[in-house]
Amino acid sequence: MNIDNFRRAVLIVGLALPMSWTAGSVAAQTARSYGVKVSTPTINQTASSAVLPPGADMVTNSGQSIVVGSLVTAQDAFAIVTGDADATDGSNAVSSATLGAVSLLSGLITADGVVAVASSTIGGNATGSDAEGSSLANLVVNGESVSYPAPNTWMALPGVGYVVLNEQIPTGDGVTTSGITVNMIHVVLQSLTGGGCGLLGCLPGVLTTTGEIIVGSATSSVQ
Amino acid sequence: MFKLRTLAMLAAPIGVVLIASSCDRQPGAVAPGIGKPLAHFQPGNFVCVPVKITGGGRIDYPPEQAEKNPPASHEYETFGAHVMGSGQQDANGVCLADKGALEWVDHRPEMEVNGHPLNLHATEVTFAEVATDASCTDGAVHWGGKLRVQNTGQSDLDFEVWDCDNGEPGRNDGFAISVPAIDYAVQCFTVTPADPTCYLTGGNRQFHPTH
Repeated sequence: MNIDNFRRAVLIVGLALPMSWTAGSVAAQTARSYGVKVSTPTINQTASSAVLPPGADMVTNSGQSIVVGSLVTAQDAFAIVTGDADATDGSNAVSSATLGAVSLLSGLITADGVVAVASSTIGGNATGSDAEGSSLANLVVNGESVSYPAPNTWMALPGVGYVVLNEQIPTGDGVTTSGITVNMIHVVLQSLTGGGCGLLGCLPGVLTTTGEIIVGSATSSVQ
Repeated sequence: MFKLRTLAMLAAPIGVVLIASSCDRQPGAVAPGIGKPLAHFQPGNFVCVPVKITGGGRIDYPPEQAEKNPPASHEYETFGAHVMGSGQQDANGVCLADKGALEWVDHRPEMEVNGHPLNLHATEVTFAEVATDASCTDGAVHWGGKLRVQNTGQSDLDFEVWDCDNGEPGRNDGFAISVPAIDYAVQCFTVTPADPTCYLTGGNRQFHPTH
């Protein structure tokens, strides 16, 4: 290659590169949601799950009746994920998971309507994520009616573990990235291991996490 | 090299302007004549230009307000929807959509079909036109096509959507849908960002003027 051709090549590259130098060249979005997820040593199952692949605009999934052993029953689960990675006009991602009647752990937790919505936007003059639109209808936890649980409401489940209601987990820096995961019912299963009494006295046991159940989960993020 | 980089930086926006200005605007396109005259989205007040609108969310209808109904009422709808058009018209002046999708779930007990929420699924998105008379800060689109009622299998039903991006956050945005063949509509005419759209009570619509 002579020097003239080399100069022409440099010029072409120099003209073309700036077209991809905008912040949006790394524009991306994540959207996923599901109705039910159970993870235990013997069960690993996710039902009515939707995940937005790169370049796709929308994915949906649904299930009229979900049964996971004696751990979860759920009716009418819908998962909808949408999004768009747009370097020019901004990116967005919206995920939702909705369910009708649900029962966890043989009726220890019941509800007759679960809605999880996660929404993320970046571009223009706004960057942010929220869980607006998420709700739980007629929720009963261990015999106690719970209305409008605040984000990350924690309740003990004696002999089982604990539950986090309306769990909201933000991600991103809020400037160049933003995201949120919303889990409307998140049960953490625990068991007591070790401990006991001997000749020298008693030792406390240790609570060990053995699994989890999540009902109504939506995740969105953008950058 | 510094001069080359400077030249390149100057050339990039010029290139963008040249590409953008080459788009052929065809104002005046109208959609198929379904629906009724509205305070916004008036027939004749549309332009056929490249457009994309994306997102989804939740609407609490009725009543027509920006607040959620009590969860126990189950009076809400959830959806995902997007459409993209390149501003091309067919021989009848219909502003064609390049692609799109709609998934709509109406959770209202009175709308249940065989004990399950009404579920509408677009099988084809045929038109998309930008509304010029809607008071949506970022943009408004009237679009539609054919859908199937998932519960019953009824298909090839015309539907139309009124779609409003009213900036951020998404609860200022609006959305409305009509499926005349089954006498179904979720539209708001009183407290509304742009008739007949209903406020989103969750999620977001994002209008993309270029794509």
